[in-house]
Parts: sequence; structure tokens; C-alpha cells
Amino acid sequence: MDNIKLPVVNPEGFYEIRFESIGGLGANVAGKILAESGVLGMGLNGSNFSSYGSEKKGSSVKAFVRFCAPEVKVRSCAPVERPHLLAIFHEALIKPGSDVTGGLYKDSIIIVNTAKSVAEITEKLGITAGVVGVVDALSIAVQEKSRVNTAMLGAVARACTFLDADVIRDTIANTLGKKYPQLLEANLRCFQRGYDELRLETISDSDAAEQPFTRTQPVYGYETAPIGGYIPNPGNSVLKDLSISRQGFLPQYLREKCIDCAQCDLVCPDMCFVWEAGTDKRGKPAQVLRGIDYQYCKGCLKCVEACPVQALVPMRETDGYAHEHRVRHSLAKMADEQASQSA
Amino acid sequence: MAIEKQVGYKQVVDFLSGNEMAAQAAKQINFHVMGYYPITPSTEIAEYLDEAKADGEHQIRMIPADGEHGAAGICYGASTGGGRVFNATSANGLLYALEQLPVQSGTRFPMVLDLVTRTVSGPLDIRGDHSDLYFAIHTGWIVLSARDPQAVYDMNIMAVRISEHPDVQLPVIVAYDGFFTSHQKQRVRYFADAKAVQSFIGEIPPRVTALDPRNPVTIGPYMNDPDLMNNKYQLHQAMEAARKITPEVFEAYAAISGRSYPVLDSYNMDDAEVAVFLLQSAAETAKDVADRLRLQGIKAGVISPNVLRPFPAADIRKALANVKCVVIGERGDSYGADGGPMTHEVKAALKDDPDNNTICLTRIYGMGGRDFYHDDAEAFFSLAIDAVEKGQVAQRFDYHGVTARGAGAVPTTVVKPLRKEEVELGLTQAEMTESGELKVKAAIPRQLTARPKRIAPGHGACPGCGIFPALNQFFSALEGDVVVLFHTGCAMVVTTGYPYSSHRVTYLHNLFQNGAATLSGLVEMFHEKKERGEIPVGEDITFVMVTGDGGMDIGMGPAIGTALRNHRMIILEYDNEGYMNTGSQLSYSTPLGHSTSTSNPGAHATGKMFHHKDTAQIMAATHIPYVFTGVEAFPQDLIRKAVKAQWYAKNEGLAYGKLLISCPLNWRAEDNKGNLIVQTAVNTCFFPLYEVERGITTITYDPEEKKKRVPVIDWLKLMGKTRHLTRPENAHVVEAFAQEVERRWQRLKAMHEHPLL
Repeated sequence: MDNIKLPVVNPEGFYEIRFESIGGLGANVAGKILAESGVLGMGLNGSNFSSYGSEKKGSSVKAFVRFCAPEVKVRSCAPVERPHLLAIFHEALIKPGSDVTGGLYKDSIIIVNTAKSVAEITEKLGITAGVVGVVDALSIAVQEKSRVNTAMLGAVARACTFLDADVIRDTIANTLGKKYPQLLEANLRCFQRGYDELRLETISDSDAAEQPFTRTQPVYGYETAPIGGYIPNPGNSVLKDLSISRQGFLPQYLREKCIDCAQCDLVCPDMCFVWEAGTDKRGKPAQVLRGIDYQYCKGCLKCVEACPVQALVPMRETDGYAHEHRVRHSLAKMADEQASQSA
Repeated sequence: MAIEKQVGYKQVVDFLSGNEMAAQAAKQINFHVMGYYPITPSTEIAEYLDEAKADGEHQIRMIPADGEHGAAGICYGASTGGGRVFNATSANGLLYALEQLPVQSGTRFPMVLDLVTRTVSGPLDIRGDHSDLYFAIHTGWIVLSARDPQAVYDMNIMAVRISEHPDVQLPVIVAYDGFFTSHQKQRVRYFADAKAVQSFIGEIPPRVTALDPRNPVTIGPYMNDPDLMNNKYQLHQAMEAARKITPEVFEAYAAISGRSYPVLDSYNMDDAEVAVFLLQSAAETAKDVADRLRLQGIKAGVISPNVLRPFPAADIRKALANVKCVVIGERGDSYGADGGPMTHEVKAALKDDPDNNTICLTRIYGMGGRDFYHDDAEAFFSLAIDAVEKGQVAQRFDYHGVTARGAGAVPTTVVKPLRKEEVELGLTQAEMTESGELKVKAAIPRQLTARPKRIAPGHGACPGCGIFPALNQFFSALEGDVVVLFHTGCAMVVTTGYPYSSHRVTYLHNLFQNGAATLSGLVEMFHEKKERGEIPVGEDITFVMVTGDGGMDIGMGPAIGTALRNHRMIILEYDNEGYMNTGSQLSYSTPLGHSTSTSNPGAHATGKMFHHKDTAQIMAATHIPYVFTGVEAFPQDLIRKAVKAQWYAKNEGLAYGKLLISCPLNWRAEDNKGNLIVQTAVNTCFFPLYEVERGITTITYDPEEKKKRVPVIDWLKLMGKTRHLTRPENAHVVEAFAQEVERRWQRLKAMHEHPLL
């Protein structure tokens, strides 16, 4: 086996890769397959791990791969802060204030799972340098009845010209073929389509500033945190935005069909339904459903199943729909009022 | 990092994590018994071994305990039988088992425990530091410290031979960093053939056994002074023997593996002037920095023990003899002692060298899994260089990496606390009639939405999680003020990720073996304060403990204690048939044949080996006033039961309810199907809806009467975790499950029909 030469390495001798994703899309497995291919099949040394917490499906996760020459020792366990290659598995992660692009070099490769063009996604990313690639991994996965991770892996294999796609294919077969042999063909098709359908462009601004990386700082410090770790302002989770958990679908609410039976509310795990005091058909005081606060909706669609009158129907989420149709939860409004008062 | 040479047995190159390597070693050792209880980040070891067993790769008898204390007991009992025994745990799991550790070492039964190091709660933190390890080093166990996945494998194998040596006969801990080592994959090598491992560990040397009736022995007698001290001196002698034998075993292993481990890993120490002392993975990071500093002409080195017990004091003394300053980094503190245990042990080692002038600094770092970067190691070396240059020390002891004020302004109030009139709406009522019947009135679900939910939106549960619909339905029925206690579990983790909380009512957490006891203490404080006039007479609070089925396994004892004492509170169990928060291990509530990460089906296994626990009947047997079952798919039924539970908790004593809830992720079902799945579970009679009120059993929904009953297979078909049961070769498992469901259902019907049952 001929040893592969890495195109670029950091001062410690590593080519570093970061996958940004949400739990459930298979970024962890993709990282494992990629790293294993490099180390066992291409003569490189390296390591692979993921960000760990008690994250659930739908919350943000990162997977890391380090490659180095075979004689270099892998000693650091710290997360990859300055990726030579960044793959964003879930477009919704790109939003103002997010750190997904943190630490990019001016010539880093960025691959995004999106239906958008390179120009559109570059603008959304807010970057002015690097090599940007787009691949519609979600559509590929839906069409092939598989997951986005192998399609993304195909795109990564194409973008990283030093990687041997055949070795990665073999690793996919070894990894997924053992446990889910019935899914292997679909996964290999996804890989191939991801490889073939990647569109890659170099962003021309070569003098551009690199993306700074800042480590996340805690909200409280030891001088400000209440002793013992209690939380003095409970209910503050209303400030969170859970819309990144949705994987392309949300419930559409059709008020004209609704009979206010609350079957949706009884099954909703995320307290998304917004009720107000009003009147029923006969004019008696009754609770009335005003709509859905999509900030908290993870797109499970249990409400659609529960609705007896098709007032809730599934729809493929389009840009801006959730924002335009969001009915703000009373607690979210209360949080705004509190914030404006204290300001 | 081990020094490798090519020798002897054929080895396989692979790309594996520390936990995978621990399992690989255990497979090849082929321990007789593993007693275990899942706790992050050590859980994977049992998972990998269970999967391998389903594939027929080893014969280890895997015993899922009721908690770490039970697991340690299983291991102790098994080890008295003279075979090889294995366990793995972390953090509070270790602490829960702690009292068993001196029993194991004091009575001198060898075994191996992998301690995948993690922060000890509380507050609860699942990531890695050495606060658990610092308890373990005082228990009379040998402690090997593995710095990378390769060392995890090697040390597990060597541990067996050290522990069983006739001069030692002590249990061994193999400790390695949670996540940093346990979950990081690296290039590794292991023996291609288990025979290499078997011939290295050899036959088990003869020792006392509880399994030889012809040679009866009394193990663990009652022993006061002066005998106990002599027993402990024997333990000390065994530890001293281990001091001699451990390097011999390391050397023998190097001869067959090509990987040698000194008891003290010394990197660039020969002429070092400044050094850092670090345990495990962080020491490796520091080596990179030492290399860099060497290029700048700074004589920097790193020391890091591969063996913590017996502590390599002489080697440390030697390594530091000419070092001008050492920074001892500790991933854990011994509060008030001006340094963690490593500081004191290193200083004590140096004290015995009258010529030693090394300045010792301590920095507590990396607690709670805080990453250790190259710049952290640089900071440590800078401290040492600075101390040497100035010839004095500003601060011998400090924390490295703490934040004084944080990044953001912290709002004092985000949402206003619930007002009494918001929760006291009279939407539900319970009234005890003179005939002893509790009459319940409840508004329709539409009107119940008028009551603000006690859990605010914004929690981080998976899409389609079944916990919250069931909890919200239950809480929507409760009038007035509520205080909740949540056990460790998904509902706890996803609602209280610091500094956020979804709870609008006062909430407290305790670890999941002890919530019932904790809340009973709070309930009694409430009533005592009321009696003393410290809380106004009119005040009333409904106390609700929320637990998963895991908490009712490990916490069964305190739950029964609470029931027998009959405190005025509610225990609400959400049962998703497994330990889902730690990645879907079997619980005792997992039904027969169901697949979890510790009940894998395969060529040699059909899923969970024993029937599901009937917690509702166990609680009913304590004769508490009210027991019920419920699911989100029958909301009116659940709401009525909640109203009753509140009445009994206020007036008579403990109410217990079991809610079957769906877990789309680990049941491997679509996110939107949870309601259907739990509804079908009810209609199979696997999860009957009933209540036991003052000892009288009433089935509140009878699928047979409603002509809705379906065979269990109709339910099993709905989930990925039971797909293997739909195959013809597993028909016998489904049949056995169906029979047990039917037996319990018929028994329940008899109880329903006969008030005396």
C-alpha cells in the first residue's frame, strides 16, 4: 500500500475534519467510516470521536476526524477547532450567532447539505474565502430511502482528492453491511450520488480574513453563578430555538377546519400549541387554538396523526414558512416583555 | 503511549476506541461472569460484549444488575467461586458500589473492574474527570492507569495475571479517561488469536473457593481487633508484593506483545528542568507541547504513572531529582487540602529525598470533562518556567480554566412564576362519598388547556418523545401548587440543561436510586414546618416524584421504603422499557425478547432473556392507598387517575402510577407513531389500564369488552426493536411472551372481579 500524502497539515502534522450535524443524521457513523478508511485502508494514522453530552436526536452534534502521516503519534483528544474540511450535514444549523463555520482557514473546504447553489449558500454562510461545495443530500436520501450521511460521505470523498473512494465504499460495506445488510445497496447508491452530484467552487477572495474560532464561554462565572448550581429563573428554556431539530417537515395548521378538540395538544411532546380564552360555536366561553409556535416544533408530526379533522397536515418545510406562520407562545411573549422591562 | 517492538504472536491492526478495546480484551480473556449496571461512559463495554455474545464470540455470563451496588455484589459472589470476574463502571456508579470494594480486597478475591473515569455528581455531569478515581485509590485495589485505547487492552490482560498471582490475590482496577479515551478511536493492535491471551494469563492459580463442598470455608467472618489489623497488614503486604510483581508482568507482556509499560511513564525526563505531572490522556497532549518547548531549548518533560496503586513513589523521586519545578495537574480536588491526592503523594515521595529541591505547583484542571488543549499544557509549563526564573512562587495551588463572570448578562426573570389563581382553576374535583367512593369530575381536554403547563416549552427531548404528553396530561389534572422531584433520566436531562430549566414549578433532582427517599424527606419537612407554624396553615403542595423505569429498578428499595412509610406524595413512573438516557440498555421492564443494546438478538440470542417487571403489582403489594396505570392514548382515563392520585396524596398517603410511554429513537419507530404504539400495547393486554384503590382492583378499560383486543404480535410489528420477533424462528419467544401476558391479564381480571384479591 502506497502511503497517501496529505495536501495540507497543521503545525502538529494533522489534516483535520469537522462534521456539523444534529443527532439522528448519522454524522458520527460517517466520521467513523471516513477515519477507519484512512487509517486501515490508506496507510494514514488518525483518530475519530464526537462531541458528547447527553444530546438527544435532533440536537446539535459534531464529529471529528484527524489524519496524519503513519509515523506521527496521535496525542490530542481535544475537539477540532481549525478544520481543513468542514461538512455541514444540516442546513438549519447555519444561522446568525451559530459557530458552525468557526476556525476555517482561508483555503478550507466547506461542504453543505443543501438544495441551494454555491453562491446562495456562501452568502448564507457569511464567508468570503475557501472552497465551497453543495450537495442535496436530503433529496438523495429521501429518493434512495436512506440517510444523508452516506451521501455526505460521497461528497467528502470527492472533495478530498487524497482519499480513495473505493476504500470508503469497502468500509461502508463492512460497517453497515454487517448490521443492516438490507440497507447496504441504498447506502452505496447514496454515496455514489453524493460523490457525483457535489458541486464545488473556489471562492475567489484569497485575501479574505480567516474565520476566528472562539471557545464557548459559560453564561455564568463563579462570581455570578448562584451557589450550589440552582437555576433562579426556571422556565427560561422558552428562550431556546428547537427548530434545528426538524428534518424537512412540519405540521401545517388549517384554522378553518379546526374544532378545538385539543387532541393535538394531548399528544404534542413540545408544548407548541398556543391556546387562548375565547368562545365556542354557541358563544360560550371556551379555549380556542390560535396556532403553533414553530420555535419549539421538532416536526415529529404526532399532532397530524391525532387530529380527527385534518386541520393539521404534514408539509415539506420551505424557507421562511415557520417564521411567517409562527404564533408566539404566551411564555415567549412574556419573556420578551421581561427582557424589554429589564432593558 | 507504549513502546512497540515486533515479536511473537500475530496481531491485528484495527481502529478502535478504549471501550471497544476493553471489550476486545474481555472477550479474549473470556471471563466467567460479568456483573454490570449501565452508566455513561463505561456502558459500551457491556453493550459490545452483549453483542459479541449474541454472535457467539465468547462465553461470559452477562448479568444485568439492579444497580452498581448489586453489580458489585454479583461480582463479589462470583469471584468467591474461584472463576474470572469482570465489571465496568464510572462516577456515581463507583461510589454507589464503593462499600463493596474494600470487601472484595479485604477478603482477597481477584477480579478486574474497568473504571471509565467520570465526574462525580452533583450537579450531574456525564463527562470525564478523576473525581471518581480519587475515591477508588483508597480501597485496597491495585489501580492501573491506561492513557490510550491500546493501553486499555494491554492493561486489562495484564490485570488478570497481576490480580491472580498467589502473592497478590487482590482485585485490580483499570482506569482510563471517560470519553477522551473510552470513545476516541485510534489505530491499535490486538492479538489475532485469543490463545495468545489465554496462554499469557494462564490457568487460575489455586485459591479459596466457595464452590468446593468437600473443603468448606467460612468467608468473611466477624473480626474485631486485634485480628482486623493483621488482616489489613496482609493486604499491605500483598500491595507490596504487587509492587514487585507488576513490573514483572509488564515485562512478560512486552515479550509477547512488543509493547512495554514502565510503572512510571517518563517523557523527556532524563535532563528535564521543568516538568508536568498528569494522569492518562492529558499527559499525551502535554508531550506534544514538551516536544515544542524542546525545540525552543527548554528542557521540558512529562511524567505520568501507569500504575497508581501501588504508587510508584521511588520512580517519581528519581524522575524529579533534578527537576527545578513540576506542575501537578489534577482532574479533581480534595477540597480544603491544598491539592488533590496526586499532589500529596508526589510531595510525600519527594520528601523522602533530603536533597530534593523541586518546586511543586498544583493546578486543578479539566473538571467535568473540560477539554485539555495544547495551550493548557503550555500554560502549565509556563508556570513552571516562570517559577524557576523567579525562584519563587506566587500561588502553589489554584484552579486552571475557571471563569469569573461568564459571557452574558443573566436575566433574573424570563417567565413569571405561576400565580395561585392560574393553577387553582377548579377544572378537576375529587370528592369522597360517605360510602367510600372517590367521585371524580374533570373538564374536557379543551378546557384543561386553560391551565398553564407546569413544564415550559424549549426542552431538548427527541422528536416524538412520549414522556411529555403523558406528564402534561397528568399535570393538567392537578389543582394548585406542585413541587416535583425528577430522578436522573431523559426527562431530567432534557429539561434542566444548565443554565436552562423548563420547570415552572420548583423542581429538584437526585440520583435515580434515591429520589423517593429524598422527596419523602421534603414532604415531612413541609408537614413539620406547617405544624410549627413556619408555613401558613392554608398552604398546600402536591409533591410528585417523576422517574423512568430505570429509577424504579435501581431505586426500588427506597421506593418501597417510601411506600411502607406511606408519605403523602405521588410517584410517577414513565416506562419506556429501557434505560434510554444512557442509550437503550435493558431494564427489568423490558419485555421478553425485546432488543436493546444489552439484549441483542443474534445467532446465539433472541433478545431479552426474562419477563418484564410488574412494578404496579409490586407497589400494590405495599398496600399504599392508590396504584394506577395509564397511557397518553387514553387521556380521559389518565386524567381521572391523576385527580384521584392527587386526592390520595393529600389525604391518605402514597399514590403510585406507571405510564407506558413511547421512545421512537430506541423503539426504532417513526416519530409520529408513539400514540398508536402505546394504544396497541394496551389493546394486547400487555399494558392493562387499571387502578388499585384502597386495595380494590378495577380494570378501567377492558379491550376484550370493547372488542379491541389484538394479539401481541400486532404490537410487536410496530417497532424496529421487535422486528426479529416477527420471524418464524423466534415464534417460540412470542408464544412465551403471549402466554405470560395472558396469565397476568387473567390474574388481573380475577382481581377485578373479586374485591378480596
